[in-house]
Amino acid sequence: MFRFKNKQSIVNVGGVRFGGQPGSLPTVLCGTIFYQGHRIVEDDESGIFDHAAAERLVIRQIELSGETGCPFVLHIYARTVPALLKYLDFTERIWSGPFIIDSAERSTRSAALSVLSEMGYADRAIFNSISIATDEAEARALLENEVDSAIILAYNPGVPGVEGAMQILENGGQVSDEGLIPLAGRLGISNILIDPGVVPMGSGAGSSLRFSVVAKSRLGLPVGSGIHNAISSWQWLLNKEKVTRRCCDAAAACMQLAMGGDFLLYGPIEGGEVIFPAAAMADILVAEAVRDLEIYPEASHPLFRLV
Amino acid sequence: MAEEGKDINQERTNRSYLDPWPPVRGDYLLGDPQAKVAVVTLASTFHPHGAAISGPCKTENLGLEKIVANVISNSNIRVLIICGMESKGHLPGNTLLALHKNGIDEKGRIIGSKGAIPFIQNLSGQAIERFKRQVELVDRIGLEDIEEIERLVSEYNHLAEPFPEEPYQVFKRRVAHHEMLSGDSDLFFGAGVSMDTARWLVASEV
Repeated sequence: MFRFKNKQSIVNVGGVRFGGQPGSLPTVLCGTIFYQGHRIVEDDESGIFDHAAAERLVIRQIELSGETGCPFVLHIYARTVPALLKYLDFTERIWSGPFIIDSAERSTRSAALSVLSEMGYADRAIFNSISIATDEAEARALLENEVDSAIILAYNPGVPGVEGAMQILENGGQVSDEGLIPLAGRLGISNILIDPGVVPMGSGAGSSLRFSVVAKSRLGLPVGSGIHNAISSWQWLLNKEKVTRRCCDAAAACMQLAMGGDFLLYGPIEGGEVIFPAAAMADILVAEAVRDLEIYPEASHPLFRLV
Repeated sequence: MAEEGKDINQERTNRSYLDPWPPVRGDYLLGDPQAKVAVVTLASTFHPHGAAISGPCKTENLGLEKIVANVISNSNIRVLIICGMESKGHLPGNTLLALHKNGIDEKGRIIGSKGAIPFIQNLSGQAIERFKRQVELVDRIGLEDIEEIERLVSEYNHLAEPFPEEPYQVFKRRVAHHEMLSGDSDLFFGAGVSMDTARWLVASEV
């Protein structure tokens, strides 16, 4: 394991801290609820869902977080604004920590920013995401509202790999006139989390691992990824047993954490059952590995809870 | 951009498609490679009979590249039916139509696409031109009636003739080789070992 020469900043959103030197803070684990195809959602247009099942899922993540010491962030996916409002009502009753707001629809993401500010959730919300797909309307919504935490998606469709992702962040590379980090700063985002945008295995998924080291070293910002996307898009694995798929999910998560990852977007919230123990294990091993590099884990670290 | 191979690959036979075909792996079902029709079902999952290849496509960049690479490597395919439900936000169906109609700009952006990140990174202008010349797109976005889709497949299979050119092989771009020179270390493993992360170079000071 290693420590970075450059200062590693720590981002605090709603009381959850991301970043720092590998081995100092526990990994932040973000599980998605109401995602496309989530069986607890009956109607993703209006936001009708099985409240009892959703509650069980969130409470289970809270239990796993409390047991392991890895903080949990609820990743809310909403297709429409009416659905988002219902999901937020539900969230307010059951979850007091930070949450990520996400949608495939630009219009929903933009409208969500106003809703979050009006409802007083801005300081708990993380916008997912600022990317080269961010258009003027979305940028204006970010600028005009109070949400100041966002994931920056460093996907560069013009230049694959680590260098292309860094270009997108720093100067826009060949596909944009402005880097996403300067853009985020201009839009009032002070809490920046970096995600390389994991592509399928065979298309360069592995570069996400090396990216986390390079991005932390050059930028000093918290870096994570949705490495599970590489696994879920692996055709060969699809027909294997569930336990096999989950083993691969956990292994990929650990690889990301061994390469300096600060947070994981672990995908479907049901995956928390394997991801929390796996991430806690990786955190302990990393913390032990850097013990003589003058990096000290904080009190809530899994190292002090599970061994 | 990707480098294209006009040379006859050793694995290529005299047939009108590469062997093995298709060259790019993905979530698809193969039929008769002599068939004239390919079907992309976007975010829906079903496999109509009679198509040379059928499968979903949920992304407006890498997914499209796979479709183009697999279609132009089989000169028999003359029609690509776009059906099924559009993938929200990504809009690969809309983007495929835009690629075929308008191509890409100098940055690789697919002109006229409404998708989120509609860029081509692994196909050259030649490959896209070939795609435009070889296949006709049938826009049935939203259609999930498999009987109707199979009727279309059958109809176009009987109407179309093979494209009168060799199958076109798309090679993956090779990453440029950078000389690994020593540099300034910025990542430390301890015990006198450090790394220059710009070059991914681990060195020992001892």
